[in-house]
Amino acid sequence: MKTPILKQGPYLIASLQDELTDTDLLQLQDTLVEQVGRFRSRGVILDVTMLDVMDSFATRTLRNMVQAVSLRGAEAVIVGIRPEVAFAMVQLGLDLRLSGVQTTLDLEEALVMLDHQGQGWGRHG
Amino acid sequence: MAEVVRVAIRSDADIVMVRQQARVLAKELGFSASDLTLIATALSELARNIVDYAGQGEIILSLINQGGHRGLVIIARDNGPGITDIERAMQDGYSTGKGLGMGLPGTRRLMDEFEISSGMGQGTTVKVTKWAR
Amino acid sequence: MTEEMKQNTEKTLMEELGFTEVEIARRRAFLELGDDDIQELLSINKLAKEYADPVIEAFYKHLLSFEETRVFFQDPGLLERVKRAQKAYFSRLTQGDYDNTYIEDRLNIGAVHERIGLPVKAYLGMYNFYLRNVANHLYEAYKDMPGKALRVYLSLLKVVFLDIGLAIDTYINRREQLIGKQREAMRELPTPVLQVRDRLLIIPVVGILDSYRARQLTEQLLDSISATRAKAVLMDITGVPIVDSKVANHLLQTVSAARLMGATVILTGLSPQIAQALVAIGVDLSHVRTTVDLQSGLEEAERLLGYRLVPVGERTGTNQAHV
Ligand SMILES: Nc1ncnc2c1ncn2[C@@H]1O[C@H](COP(=O)(O)OP(=O)(O)O)[C@@H](O)[C@H]1O
Ligand SMILES: [Mg+2]
Repeated sequence: MKTPILKQGPYLIASLQDELTDTDLLQLQDTLVEQVGRFRSRGVILDVTMLDVMDSFATRTLRNMVQAVSLRGAEAVIVGIRPEVAFAMVQLGLDLRLSGVQTTLDLEEALVMLDHQGQGWGRHG
Repeated sequence: MAEVVRVAIRSDADIVMVRQQARVLAKELGFSASDLTLIATALSELARNIVDYAGQGEIILSLINQGGHRGLVIIARDNGPGITDIERAMQDGYSTGKGLGMGLPGTRRLMDEFEISSGMGQGTTVKVTKWAR
Repeated sequence: MTEEMKQNTEKTLMEELGFTEVEIARRRAFLELGDDDIQELLSINKLAKEYADPVIEAFYKHLLSFEETRVFFQDPGLLERVKRAQKAYFSRLTQGDYDNTYIEDRLNIGAVHERIGLPVKAYLGMYNFYLRNVANHLYEAYKDMPGKALRVYLSLLKVVFLDIGLAIDTYINRREQLIGKQREAMRELPTPVLQVRDRLLIIPVVGILDSYRARQLTEQLLDSISATRAKAVLMDITGVPIVDSKVANHLLQTVSAARLMGATVILTGLSPQIAQALVAIGVDLSHVRTTVDLQSGLEEAERLLGYRLVPVGERTGTNQAHV
């Protein structure tokens, strides 16, 4: 199953689908890293609202994605971790693995955050 | 009375499938939404270990009723290489692959009961139980 | 048939208090209540019948002469009934067979007294009064055999102390049940999650945080964050009496789960003593925002949300000289 990726201005928005397999997830990582370069995107939003499970594999892959994307000069935000998923992740002990990763409640919030950070760069740069 | 579902685990698509099956079964038992997620997450870890380390195996889901207490039992079984040092495998962050090493210890935290038996060349069996409240 | 039914009810009450044959035997052994004591007591059964009435009269005269105990026996009908029961009990003391049925009866009586609210001090005081009274009667009856009087009295003491132990156990049991019920009620009591303004929640945590409640609290908080799109949460733990490493870990997990959802939790009401104790036992709170009180927590939360607190006068620029 392919993950739809939407290009919105300087950002890429990936909406991760329910029933995503490990292979799909790894494929998404490749695609995103490639597209960030191609579109010179400033930010990547990983929307996980649809995911009803985030196990250690998904967590590790998302973390890797965030790191890979930032190595290519873009900010990444994980969006929409559900309450019960957040609870399970903490129980499993995965929360620490995402401690350096930005998370927001929803897409709107993520866009505000990225815009804000963009401005910050502008001021200093 | 015990309903039993067996799912062969051979690929990552099976991981997704077994999660769905468990959700259906657990819902019947009246587990809360957050318990369903805990169960699905644990199952995901166990199924992935089968795919990653043994190549193939099976997962058996069953309902139990102990003196009016109902629960879901998950048995994950394979004939893979087995685990040489179970104690280490149960530690947070220990992985012989490139995983986070949170699968087994995390699963123990997610479930109410956890049993593992494994040995070099003997395959691995993990049995976990979650009680409905 | 009736025998069997009686056995059944007996069992349940005794079971509730954990009374087994072994336990009863152990208690008797500890008091050194043996067959010779039973013989001693049986030997004065006739005498006991003789002094039963004067003892009972004195007993209730004493009871009724104190306001504290009088209130329990206002109803004359009740008083008569209680008197009769008490008299039966006193004569039962010298009839031997301190077996299961006997124990069960004592437990029942103890439970009744606890239920009407008779304080333990009154219970013990009346036993004391009774013993002194009986001691006098024994002394009189065995004037020529002081050894006999003493032996009987000591045997009686053993049985009475067995009974006192049983009565106090029923008191404690009832209190424990009450505490258990209250704890249950506390558990069921949902922790309120208050939305103070847009995207800001306050959650005052009150009471003991065991794993069950901690889980409830976390789930409730996470659901509320999702429902209200909260960005900041003030978790006030002033009302949590014990914050040990276990509770601290529950709180850390809650904070962490909220963060995964994109909300920042600010912990308030952590006393300096508790903070220091946590550091001492190795709980790492460095990743958690904490403030000393709700007020500063609120200020921090508002900064987070991009609000700025400005005094009314400053904002409007009006002169407040008339205040
Ligand atoms: N079914 C299995 N067969 C063989 N080895 C296993 C199996 N499950 C787990 N292991 C071993 O235990 C280790 C820890 O497993 P786990 O906690 O799931 O972490 P991870 O999978 O991230 O390494 C694995 O790295 C692997 O060496
Ligand atoms: Mg694993």
